[in-house]
Amino acid sequence: MIKQLSVFLENRPGRLANLLDILERHKIKVLAMGIAEAGNYGIVRLIVDKEGEALDVLRGCNMAVNETNVIIINLNDLTSTVKILGNANINIDYAYTMDCQRVVLKVNNEVEAVKALSASGIKVLSARPD
Amino acid sequence: MSTYKLLKSEIVKLQNERLRWLVKYVYERSPFYRRRFIDNGIDPDNIRTKDDLKKIPFTTKTDLRDNYPLGLVSSDLSKIVRFHASSGTTGNPTVVAYTRQDVESWAELNARCLEIAGVTSKDVVQVAYGYGLFTGGLGLHYGAERLGTKVIPASTGNTKRQLKLMKDLGTTVICCTPSYGLFLAESARDEGLDPKRDLKIRVGVFGAEPWSENTRKRLEEQFVESAHDIYGMSELNGPGVAMECKMKEGLHVWEDHYIVEIIDPNTGEVLEPGEKGEMVVTTIMKEGMPLLRYRTRDITILDDTPCDCGLNHARIRRILGRTDDMLKIRGICVFPSQVEEILMKTEGVSPHYQLVVDREGVMDRLMVRVEVSEDFKTDRLTDLVKLQQKLEEELKDTLSIHAVVELVEPKKLPRSEGKAQRIIDMRKL
Repeated sequence: MIKQLSVFLENRPGRLANLLDILERHKIKVLAMGIAEAGNYGIVRLIVDKEGEALDVLRGCNMAVNETNVIIINLNDLTSTVKILGNANINIDYAYTMDCQRVVLKVNNEVEAVKALSASGIKVLSARPD
Repeated sequence: MSTYKLLKSEIVKLQNERLRWLVKYVYERSPFYRRRFIDNGIDPDNIRTKDDLKKIPFTTKTDLRDNYPLGLVSSDLSKIVRFHASSGTTGNPTVVAYTRQDVESWAELNARCLEIAGVTSKDVVQVAYGYGLFTGGLGLHYGAERLGTKVIPASTGNTKRQLKLMKDLGTTVICCTPSYGLFLAESARDEGLDPKRDLKIRVGVFGAEPWSENTRKRLEEQFVESAHDIYGMSELNGPGVAMECKMKEGLHVWEDHYIVEIIDPNTGEVLEPGEKGEMVVTTIMKEGMPLLRYRTRDITILDDTPCDCGLNHARIRRILGRTDDMLKIRGICVFPSQVEEILMKTEGVSPHYQLVVDREGVMDRLMVRVEVSEDFKTDRLTDLVKLQQKLEEELKDTLSIHAVVELVEPKKLPRSEGKAQRIIDMRKL
């Protein structure tokens, strides 16, 4: 399963730059990013190449950060994927795109989701570029 | 140490005797009080018992400021051996003067405080209150020395060194503000220490700012075995006016040195034990700068019922707020301690907060800035929004006014090593 990092950030100039700068200094590559905001704060969701290391580094910088399981699929499979998940009664909590060809999905039951998708021949991808 | 385990009847007798002495003493020696008595038609001979106190007007902080620096000194200046002063952020500082006997009493009262919290001569006491003009450091220092403990006069600041001293010298008692106590625990963890395992702190003596039962829980979970509240103010010597015994159901006021009344801060009317109001204190042993019916601006409740620890000195409830900390927002009184109570019991936020008040048009607005805790487990924005709404609802229930909650990143609010700066009032009145 792919691990996504979710970081709590205040919604003001410079906070995101600070976060990405920390990752860069530790040679951690960001593969995908989505932001959800609510007024003066938000959550930055990241797929990185070394999530364990990233988690330690960010915690060491006193950031509120945690891991979540997500799945990645091809953008081409999006329509059929949402149909399959809908039929399996699995909710998509949120989603964001990764490069131009892939989509990151957070569902409420990732184990069942992967099962349902694989059974229908949808390829569940890894975080690294193929 | 002289005996302080007195019968209630002995306490009452001492209070009345000493009050009669005090009234005469200030009438003869203090131009300020002499004028007060004459202006109000008070005959010192008519003040016989505690009940007669009502006839005497209050002494206020303003009186101290107006008579800066030494207008309220009653003893001969030649007998004064020490000055302390308050910060004076709002004008002249308040200067207090001590005779040798006052310094002795002060040491004695602090020794009693430590003793009823379970401190013995075998303890290593680290005093992390400020030493200097502020009375916190020296007051507890004298008390610890009087009790015969080993004292580490660490004073405030330099948190790394504080932790090192604790570890290397085997500190068993810490004296500091509760917010600094939490900060020390947090810093210890940052250095990879488990304060409860790697340090051996039995007793925490926490004072100089109001704190809550939830803070006690945190301090006892994270830092010390037993956390005790101590009360005092420089006008009344400094720390050591009142202290929590092992029962932790209120702070015993040393009634052979202080007479406590609780009044309605608006009308000045004396309230019954059990009623909430401003604490007014008369110092019946001080020589240098004794005060009659001094308005402390601290809000509490007097409890005159017997304590299971066996002491007959009446107790005050932990300080519920200050009349001048009290924020008046849209006419409603708000105490920071009320906000703290809510934050302490809410998972997902840290106990560090700031209250920001401003005015939009004619409407006051209260914003509560709170740190999200580092271990907040969510990737869902809705959980954060729910947390924010839950806090806003609870604040509304408790404070009766709407407050906007602003969630901020962990460790982003300023930490203070002395009294925490928790209120920012931006209203231009």
